[in-house]
Amino acid sequence: MTCSHINFRMDRRAFFGRFGLGLGGAALASLGSQESQAAAGGPFAGIFNSGHLPAKAKRVIYLFMSGGPSQLETFDYKPELVRRSGEDLPDSIRKGQRLTGMSANQANLPMAGSVFGFRQQGRSGAWISELLPWTSRVADDLCIVRSLHTEAINHDPAITFFQTGSQIAGRPSFGSWLSYGLGSANQNLPAFVVLISKDRIDQPLYSRLWGNGFLPSQHQGVVFRGGRDPVLYLKNPAGVSGQSRRKLLDRMAELEFLQYRDLGDPEINARVAQYEMAYRMQTSVPDIMNLSGEPESVFDLYGPEARNPGSFAANCLLARRLAERNVRFIQLYHPGWDQHGGLPTGIRRQCTDVDRASYALITDLKQRGLLDETLIIWGGEFGRTNYSQGKLTKTDYGRDHHPRCFSMWMAGGGVKPGFSYGTTDDFGYNIAENPVHVHDLQATALHQLGLSHDRLTFRSQGRDYRLTDVHGRVVRELLA
Amino acid sequence: MLSKIKTIGFILLLGPALSVGFAGIDFARQIQPILSETCYQCHGPSDTSRKGGLRLDTREGAHGSGKSGRLAITPGNLSASELIRRITTSDADDHMPPADSHKSLTTGQIDLLRRWVAEGGKWGVHWSFSPPSLPAIPKVRSLRKNHPIDAFVAASLAGFKKKLTQNADPKRLLRRVSFDLTGLPPTVNELASFEANPTPENYLESVKRLMASPRYGEHMAVGWLDLARFADTHGFQTDRYRPVWPWRDWVIGAFNQQLSFDQFVVWQLAGDLFPNPSKEQRLATTFNRLHLQNEEGGIVEEEYRVAYNVDRVNTFGTAFLGVTFECARCHDHKYDPISQREFYQLFSFFQNVDESGQSVYFGDIMPVPTTLLSSAEQDTKLAELQQRISAQEIEVKRIATNAQTEFATWRSTNTTGATLAKPVAAFTFDSMVSNIFPSSTAGKVAKPIDNPSSVDGYSGKALSLNGENGVSMPGIGHFTRADPFSLALWIQPAVHTLRQTVIHHSQAWMDAGSRGYEIVLEEGRVAVGLHHMWPGNSLKIQSIDGLPLHTWSHVAFAYDGSSRAQGLTLFINGLPVPVKILRDHLWKDITYGQPDLTVGLRMRDFGFKGGKVDELQVFDSALTAVEAARFAKVPPPSVAETELAHFIARDYPPYTTALATLRKLRQEQNGLVTSIQDIMVMEEMDEPKPAYILKRGAYDAPGERVSMNTPAAMGTLSPSAPRNRLGLARWLLEPSNPLFARVTVNRVWQHFFGRGLVETSDNFGLQGALPTHPELLDWLAVTFAQGNPELRIRPWNLQDLQRLIVTSDTYCQTSRASKSDLADDPMNLKLGRGPTRRLTAEMLRDQALFTSGLLIEKIGGPSVKPYQPDGLWEMASGGRYDTGKGGDLYRRSLYTYWKRTIPPPSMMSFDAADRSYCVVRRQSTSTPLQALALLNDTQIVEASRHLANRILKEGGATPTQQLRSGFQWITGRPPKPSETVILKQLLAEQESLFEGDTASADLLLKVGEKSTDGVHPSTKLAAWTLVAEALLNHDEAVMLR
Repeated sequence: MTCSHINFRMDRRAFFGRFGLGLGGAALASLGSQESQAAAGGPFAGIFNSGHLPAKAKRVIYLFMSGGPSQLETFDYKPELVRRSGEDLPDSIRKGQRLTGMSANQANLPMAGSVFGFRQQGRSGAWISELLPWTSRVADDLCIVRSLHTEAINHDPAITFFQTGSQIAGRPSFGSWLSYGLGSANQNLPAFVVLISKDRIDQPLYSRLWGNGFLPSQHQGVVFRGGRDPVLYLKNPAGVSGQSRRKLLDRMAELEFLQYRDLGDPEINARVAQYEMAYRMQTSVPDIMNLSGEPESVFDLYGPEARNPGSFAANCLLARRLAERNVRFIQLYHPGWDQHGGLPTGIRRQCTDVDRASYALITDLKQRGLLDETLIIWGGEFGRTNYSQGKLTKTDYGRDHHPRCFSMWMAGGGVKPGFSYGTTDDFGYNIAENPVHVHDLQATALHQLGLSHDRLTFRSQGRDYRLTDVHGRVVRELLA
Repeated sequence: MLSKIKTIGFILLLGPALSVGFAGIDFARQIQPILSETCYQCHGPSDTSRKGGLRLDTREGAHGSGKSGRLAITPGNLSASELIRRITTSDADDHMPPADSHKSLTTGQIDLLRRWVAEGGKWGVHWSFSPPSLPAIPKVRSLRKNHPIDAFVAASLAGFKKKLTQNADPKRLLRRVSFDLTGLPPTVNELASFEANPTPENYLESVKRLMASPRYGEHMAVGWLDLARFADTHGFQTDRYRPVWPWRDWVIGAFNQQLSFDQFVVWQLAGDLFPNPSKEQRLATTFNRLHLQNEEGGIVEEEYRVAYNVDRVNTFGTAFLGVTFECARCHDHKYDPISQREFYQLFSFFQNVDESGQSVYFGDIMPVPTTLLSSAEQDTKLAELQQRISAQEIEVKRIATNAQTEFATWRSTNTTGATLAKPVAAFTFDSMVSNIFPSSTAGKVAKPIDNPSSVDGYSGKALSLNGENGVSMPGIGHFTRADPFSLALWIQPAVHTLRQTVIHHSQAWMDAGSRGYEIVLEEGRVAVGLHHMWPGNSLKIQSIDGLPLHTWSHVAFAYDGSSRAQGLTLFINGLPVPVKILRDHLWKDITYGQPDLTVGLRMRDFGFKGGKVDELQVFDSALTAVEAARFAKVPPPSVAETELAHFIARDYPPYTTALATLRKLRQEQNGLVTSIQDIMVMEEMDEPKPAYILKRGAYDAPGERVSMNTPAAMGTLSPSAPRNRLGLARWLLEPSNPLFARVTVNRVWQHFFGRGLVETSDNFGLQGALPTHPELLDWLAVTFAQGNPELRIRPWNLQDLQRLIVTSDTYCQTSRASKSDLADDPMNLKLGRGPTRRLTAEMLRDQALFTSGLLIEKIGGPSVKPYQPDGLWEMASGGRYDTGKGGDLYRRSLYTYWKRTIPPPSMMSFDAADRSYCVVRRQSTSTPLQALALLNDTQIVEASRHLANRILKEGGATPTQQLRSGFQWITGRPPKPSETVILKQLLAEQESLFEGDTASADLLLKVGEKSTDGVHPSTKLAAWTLVAEALLNHDEAVMLR
């Protein structure tokens, strides 16, 4: 007897019942026709077969710049601020807006212009900083939004807000929502994968940022790490060969089959399917992580850092490989953007880390025809103040957290290429026109994936929760 | 769309069950859920989101009319009922619910609504908001035994022409009840003895044995830790450790000692409010402080103080009332009858603790207020010290009053005048020598920070400050709270603001809980503070009058080392001034490290912007009034009393000797008390903090003021009840409270059946599920609250209730289901068979440790760090995870260190609750990551090896016997012959693989810290290790059937 004798199909009704998806009988009946999808998808099936709307994108690559990159040194060109460097921030601009406790007690708030130059790039003429020469080359692929704003002013709640739509811990992450809504398109990999740049940690990252919250836990993000055990517990114990494990699983499956024959509980078969999926992941994940098969030309594109496992560049390359295998949500974190002091040095280093790889990722996806169906998002949890935190000198300054306005960019996935949206005032302190809230960004991204943000809900503790809470607007102006 | 589907599901599944015993349409169970789901978002309790002026959540509203003027419901008359017209019209503009709501009604629901209106549109209260009464136990023939639970369940099954099924076989039953009561499997002997004679009497004996085991309390604690959002760390940003495990140990003890459940809850909510509360009663209130706490630099303190208190309200609501209050933080609840005002009325019960919204970044300080976790021995020592201190205080006073004669003699003979205290450091700030200001005392200096300017001062030159500069004076002023000390200086403010720090000895403001001492100006008033952690462990006074601007004022304080506000005197321009006592509750030390005494600025604080400072003096004694006057250059008050006091302090050796003794005693007391760990608790402030409705829930948008009260829909708070947490806690226990007992028994039911009688154990509100067995739920609730002597159930006795449940046939039934059973009732809502569940994260790990003999059974203590994959904490910059050693690796899982931002990964894979907020219901999922963890986790691999070793040692002589033993130890039953065949093949295959590669066998046997003592060839033990692993992964091991 081999495991192929075993009926791996699961009873969908019991599946939903057991796994707390909370569907009632009628819903199950309506889903009955999707039996095959359920059987194939197992635990990684989504709740909506194909979304609510026609999808422009099939997946997201989210390049999260954690710590809060300064918009004023990257995408928001403010010549007036440069001219006024050193002057105190006028009250007429600040309008009593709250500051963090880091600079609220500062005796003066001297405005600080960027020490880095800006130039217009591409046919679209987008203003981009000299710190981002590679990104500038793909200016015509970017949809730059300069008018993002958020509600949180400190890292932890602000990142949590961006990733889960709520400042309060415990809600499902963006990627979990997507996995829940659309399921996985890959049988050997999870729908939601997280990659974190090594060595750049300043502000902590928390597993709740890729947590499933109250969604079933198969939707939690799975961190792929560098090193020998890229997914937790992926590797067989020392001394257990692949052959040994295969045989072990075969015998276990036989035992489970006997158990199933005796008890008739479809849950038993579901568990066997999980063990098989786990076994496949033991091959598929290291395969994905192994970049040695990539041709020289790829490394030429991503730059030498791509050979350094755990670097942002290597993770971008991995992101492309995951995208090729249809992973739904690929979340990268690149920490290190929290420049309260020594900003010019710090941000130069950070831009060097991400500039070429971001360019390469866009270019690579484009060459492979994947950019159209992949939505790339680049940005942090908030922006930075237009005044210096701490001392301002000709060459040095710091910037505090600033939730009132900041810049992000998107590319691919049906957003307008070579397009800039939203402006800030001449001081770079307030939004002048076309504000985009965090929930708007989330609604827009979901929309591109064919999901209506006000219909992607899950009931917990008596309330229908959404990624966008009770807010959010699809920013149609950004869509191609 | 999803939500629509869900409602239909419930109606379809529950409809028949609910119709039992009801002739007509039942509003509360059949109609209100439809209205709530489909209509209340716009026509519910919320005034602000109501459309068309129509509300359908009250009788008056539904029987009235909205803006249209047409009656929503005309009883008995469908055509005159606007509601019916609107849900059936084909006019898209008029149709309800509107398309953009993404809600819709099924034909079944429309039919129900029509029938309801036709029958007269009878109104009622949502079922869970009317108090339960004791239903009669149904008379059911054919029960195997006379058991009230079975009677209710069988009566309901009879409605489907079904019956309770046969009992589970004894082995499965004992395994089920052992896990449910202790979280661990039965031993082979226990199984054998029960199987030999599986009578109801023996079963009851087993239940009693399990409940008497200390493992019982450990296992019961697990669910309570979820509910209480217990964790070992604060949960934000750097996510620091906070030792709150003593509370966890109290919970375990409370279960084991059978503290009755009402007391268990009241102590946790309000133990501090009992008259003369015991230490345990205080400790129990840690429950309310287990929410996340934020130490991130630069947060707005009030924002988080409010967030913490909101969490207390939410936890209270979910845990004890099964109602989600969260929505009402920002607006009236859209579905449940909870107004925003009522939310803040509850809020006001919980906020009267002297806490800070920012926990401490610098130093491991327990957030205030706290209670001391002293041992009995330490208490004795502390009491003794306190007694000696009090006695010495009296002695010091006695010596002072007896000094009259000596004073007269001294005054008549003394020619040089009174001796003045000598400063330990004194700075004129007149000139710098090699970039530092010298002190008149040797070896001390003041270092300028960011160039304070030098301007004409009170005398010579003075420092002129800009708020971000000043001077620091290393090595000066390291005083404890037991030391008398004083500061004196001239200052000149240029502007009055909320806060300006003049001088301090501390590391930072909020970020360090202000620990240290300070002089600050608060809108010009002089405040002097000594802090362990502001505000709950502090001493602070503030002058009534402000200082003049642009004028030199001499400010001095004298502190006598008593830790009392009375012992702190503020002098302005040489005279003692009246002060307001802001805090008088300092009982741990004010020192840590040795920060520099600093003038003019402090980390993340408001500096002395525009201020000037001159002639600073630091003293290691309490200045006298004479001295304060002298330093302020005013004539000393010539009152004899003042002179006498000065004489005693400076020129009367018996007094100074007695004072030195007192100081020594205080230092000893301070040293001891500061060294003892404390824990955050509730401690009601004398004056409640004013509470307001916070508009949109925003911390900085207070609206109308509110006072403590309970939500009107949930039973009234007796006017004679105290308006505090104790009154609130006792309100839960009132028979008129419709929710508490129901919610509690439902959670207990859930513990044993995997699903509550109300599936949404976290929500009994209008959006929650309906009870599958409403009469049973109410019977259990009333019986639990009031007891039942006939059934030997004491009021609020958890074990009595649990014993009742586990002795029912409903619980003891086999879980085996035929295809048609599964098709008929896949989720077993009718309870026609026994419960099936996957083991929890804790049970799975504990089972492996227990059956392998590795488990270290030690109750309580600090949390431990068993194996976890390398680098997890480091990756997220959460510090370093130092894996425990020896016994720490093998403790029960509830003792595993819980770091909120990076919780133990193997536990999280198996659906452990997020310990960030109150969770009363875990998920149970099945994922590949679980398979990976249960096959590859070092903990499991090591346990498998030890299990293999045990099998080989104790499991019998032949492989067949050994396989039989191992299988039975883990699953509770012997293998069938067909299973033995497969297991033998497994063993043979693995053995032959390892024989071909002995190095691999050796590697496998090295996994885990603890070596095995066996004498078996490594290839054999390795193969058996994998057999053991297969057994631990077997359905029968992973599931409770």
